[in-house]
Amino acid sequence: MNSLWEKFLENGRVKECPVYDMHAHMGSFNRIYLPFGDFNPEITKSRLERAGIKMLIFCSHWTLFSPDIGNRANIEVVRQLPDKLRAYCGLNPNYPEIIEKDVEDFEKYRDVFVGFKLLSDYHQKPVSHENYSPAWKYADKKGLIVLLHTWGGSQFDGPEQVRIVAEKYPGAKILMGHSCHGAWDETIQLMKDFPNVYAELCAVVDDRGGLEQIMDACGSKQIVFGTDWPWFNHHYYIGAVIDSGISDQDAHNIFHRNAEKLLEGLI
Amino acid sequence: MEKIEFFDANVFIGRPHNGMFGAVNNSEGLLEEMDKQGISRAIVWHIFQYEGSPVEGNRILAEEISKSDRFYGCWTILPPQTQEIITEDFFKQMKENKIVCLNVFPDWHRFVMDAVTFGDFFQQISERNIPLFLTMGRSCISWDSLYRLMRDFPRLTCVLCDIGIWGVDRYTWPLLEKFENFYLESSQLSLEEGGVEATVKRFGSERIIFGTGFPVRYPKASILQLVHADISQQDKINIASKNLERILKKEKL
Repeated sequence: MNSLWEKFLENGRVKECPVYDMHAHMGSFNRIYLPFGDFNPEITKSRLERAGIKMLIFCSHWTLFSPDIGNRANIEVVRQLPDKLRAYCGLNPNYPEIIEKDVEDFEKYRDVFVGFKLLSDYHQKPVSHENYSPAWKYADKKGLIVLLHTWGGSQFDGPEQVRIVAEKYPGAKILMGHSCHGAWDETIQLMKDFPNVYAELCAVVDDRGGLEQIMDACGSKQIVFGTDWPWFNHHYYIGAVIDSGISDQDAHNIFHRNAEKLLEGLI
Repeated sequence: MEKIEFFDANVFIGRPHNGMFGAVNNSEGLLEEMDKQGISRAIVWHIFQYEGSPVEGNRILAEEISKSDRFYGCWTILPPQTQEIITEDFFKQMKENKIVCLNVFPDWHRFVMDAVTFGDFFQQISERNIPLFLTMGRSCISWDSLYRLMRDFPRLTCVLCDIGIWGVDRYTWPLLEKFENFYLESSQLSLEEGGVEATVKRFGSERIIFGTGFPVRYPKASILQLVHADISQQDKINIASKNLERILKKEKL
């Protein structure tokens, strides 16, 4: 039995095991009702502290779905709760001129951004598309984190696409959001082939089996915790990760140590 | 403070034909898992009821749950007209075999779940307060057909399980508002950030029934969420076991 379980069950959070949520969002959303979708610094802080979330890295829905709003939505939110929040600079490849401008301005917002977020299945252009290249080159050079939405079988962000960018940009720290969901064998191969590629657990632990398979093959050093918050509940995912049967050391790696290494020099 | 006892409303035994991580093939395996998770009782069904034969699956289930007082059963029904399952002494059979609720997989088992097929029978289970468990998780019913069912049988005790990964409050809240015997099973409501809290705030804690979704999902996920939900201790106790106990006490078999 993982000794952290009793502590999380008792207190909801564990001081010696802070949690970094590396895949989150912010803002209300068209297709579902999100009870905590609207940002309020006090409420957000309280929700994060309930589960011992030390830091949450997000990209606003509004950034991803409105080029007119863009990254302003991220900047305004982070600056209202800087001790708990950082953001990914959201990229929409259908507006390459905005990407160029955002990369140009990136240094102005180092208090806000730790890297970039790509949502290629929704924006309908592959992660290797040339319109993203200014951001990829910049992330490669600066060692930034790039969070990709990835899904097994996708022509836009499936394993084959991840392989292309992982080979081309070894300096970028690539988080496979949802771990190429369902294509676990390919996910594992990518993790083995590229030390800069990480599995991220949002949606992976909706069902049993995926995390166990990844852990068996790769161990815990290339896995980070994420929830799509405010979509999914932190305690639910923390319970799921622990219920996969991992050791205390593996839980520490997944919940905070790997994230702390990734964020070194970025926050 | 009263301790939270967990009564799991959403568990199956049996190994699916295409394989599934961690599925248990008998009641002994399930008891072991329940002990590990601190779950005291469970309503159980057998995957063969869905994947193979509802008739034989129901029989296997009855045999397995007879091995422990901690289990209650959920039988799968088919249209009464074919008399494969619903026979004259059906309710007597339910009682003799510790079957406390029913489930139904209309699209997969190829029939229409409406008043034409189940009119008299659904009237009877409504009057007897026998819960009908429905799942959104196995491509068996649509939201339209669920809405139609509740319109046709507004007194039916219905527990909606496996509600979906994406939040479905826009679908379920109108049903909770209009039909007092409509309930939500919690294994995926717990997944939604604030889903349990928002539902309790709007409709009270009496409308949510605790479930883990084992072996598909991780029991510790819904347990940890409920224990630390931003609701009262009494609300947690209601969801964890009391609501299901109350529903089953009203049942007339």
